[in-house]
Amino acid sequence: MPPPVTLDGVGYAFGEGALRRPVLRSLDLTVAAGELVLLTGPSGSGKTTLLTLIGALRAMQDGSCRVLGQELRGASEVARVALRRRIGFIFQNHNLLAFLTARQNVAMSLELHPDFGDEGKRLAAADAILDQVGLSDFTHVVPAKLSGGQRQRVAVARALVARPGLILADEPTAALDRQSGHDVVHLMRDLAKKSGMPILLVTHDPRILDVADRIVSMEDGRIVA
Amino acid sequence: MTPWLPFRLAWRQLRAERARLLSAIAGVMFACVLVFMQLGFRSALFDSATALPQALDGDLFLVHPLTTALFRPESFPRVRAFQTLASPEVSVAVPIYMAQAIWRNPVNGSHRAIQLIGFDTEAGAVNFPGLPALIPALKRPDTIAFDWKSRPEFGPVAALLSERGPFKVQIANREVEIVGTVALGASFGADGNAVMSETNFRRLVSERKVGNTDLVALRLRPGADTAAVQRQLTALLPRDVRVVTHAELVAWERNYWETATPIGFIFAFGSLMGLVVGMVIVYQILFADIASHLAEYATLKAMGFSGGYLRLVVMGAAGILAGLGFVPGVLASIGLYDVVAKATLLPLRMDPNRGFLVAALIFAMCATAGLLAMRKLRDADPADMF
Repeated sequence: MPPPVTLDGVGYAFGEGALRRPVLRSLDLTVAAGELVLLTGPSGSGKTTLLTLIGALRAMQDGSCRVLGQELRGASEVARVALRRRIGFIFQNHNLLAFLTARQNVAMSLELHPDFGDEGKRLAAADAILDQVGLSDFTHVVPAKLSGGQRQRVAVARALVARPGLILADEPTAALDRQSGHDVVHLMRDLAKKSGMPILLVTHDPRILDVADRIVSMEDGRIVA
Repeated sequence: MTPWLPFRLAWRQLRAERARLLSAIAGVMFACVLVFMQLGFRSALFDSATALPQALDGDLFLVHPLTTALFRPESFPRVRAFQTLASPEVSVAVPIYMAQAIWRNPVNGSHRAIQLIGFDTEAGAVNFPGLPALIPALKRPDTIAFDWKSRPEFGPVAALLSERGPFKVQIANREVEIVGTVALGASFGADGNAVMSETNFRRLVSERKVGNTDLVALRLRPGADTAAVQRQLTALLPRDVRVVTHAELVAWERNYWETATPIGFIFAFGSLMGLVVGMVIVYQILFADIASHLAEYATLKAMGFSGGYLRLVVMGAAGILAGLGFVPGVLASIGLYDVVAKATLLPLRMDPNRGFLVAALIFAMCATAGLLAMRKLRDADPADMF
């Protein structure tokens, strides 16, 4: 079985002509099945751009990027949307829908999956994963009434509930205090390890480096370590 | 993906912002009421403009082809009425005479043109409410029946009648006695009406050719085929008359007011304004809902929700607003019709066809607002999320 993520000579630049500014230069990276890879580096080193390319949120420019068996070079918008459904995203901000309760937010990501055809199944799966992230008492609460750590745990539950083949997280602890950040990352790792989901996590946060299987450092669009 | 899921999301989103939802519903309701009132007034004015042809009781009518509206008819030889009797299916042919003359207000003496309608009152060709009881009195020389729905400038005739009984007024420099009232209604062409016998009409309007009439009402024998008789008479009679059915006569009159006057345009324009205002309000609400949820919408896109799903959410919200605004709008309009009808004597009432038309307009209005607001979705770019 090929690894979930294989990057081969990936390059990316913003702007045109004289304003063209490369952010990724001929970059190679592999994430193995079940591996937690932590991506660090100074601001502007291209970590986030790399994450958006792997997450099929951006069209490729140079090189080859295979994610969960899908070649993203020249992939159509339809193919990219289909791939995104197999990836769990966790953002710096929770981005939960304010007018939905925790379980409704989690259940929504299952609307795209044919295995969860009816609302009952979706809500049951949502309740189960909210229980695993320790929020069984908050399933009917709207995000505004949760703490920052609780909201991010709902976001983790939302990303993991559909059992994605890959989890992409961007600074998931940036908005949290030390203890909440530690809890969220460990929770994420434990849940992912249980079902063998690989995680690619971009972070500046030195407090969470201990969760990683492997740490990749980037600078000026290249991997340096 | 089942199509009701985006619809449900739209409803949950609308429901979360009560004040915004209520103002949107109020906007749709406002547009709805405005359109209903404009279309209602339009239809009521056309109805009252055609009160005279509607009150005429005949199966077929003869009119001159150049007659554009009944308040200024083109006259034709009265002998056409008697020629129709050659058809065994025609049982009665009643010439109706019309002219305008100067009426002098019995209270203050001011002048105003009044529509005179003369015919054989016993022939049963005209159906004005109140007329049957006055038929014996109208046989006397120089008597008329006054239309109490005439404009008030003609004087408080009905009040004077009930106060002192029949009294004399001056029409076309001749004294006539008012013996009672009928109900007909002022139209755009005539501010008031006076009904009288054929003989009394000739006494008031002496200068016209005796052999001419303005309109002929025909009654057919029971069971006669109206369309067949119409074809037969059209073939038989010279080209100076047209044979029309009652519905055609009413439609002819109505068509004149719709096409030859700006009335139709004015009300269509008023309705359009209402729809534009409603559209802008709904657009603002939908736009604000998208703009304040851009990050969440972009997240949904990142999770693999298609642009189509999000567009359905916006259109779902537009549809919900249309429905929630239309229902109270139609109820308020029914109530307002009643109030305005009592105040103005205009025949305003809710008509199912108009209800369907306005419902379609309101949904189209909200759909347009939705399509415009949807463009904002392009700003929800998942690549900006990280």
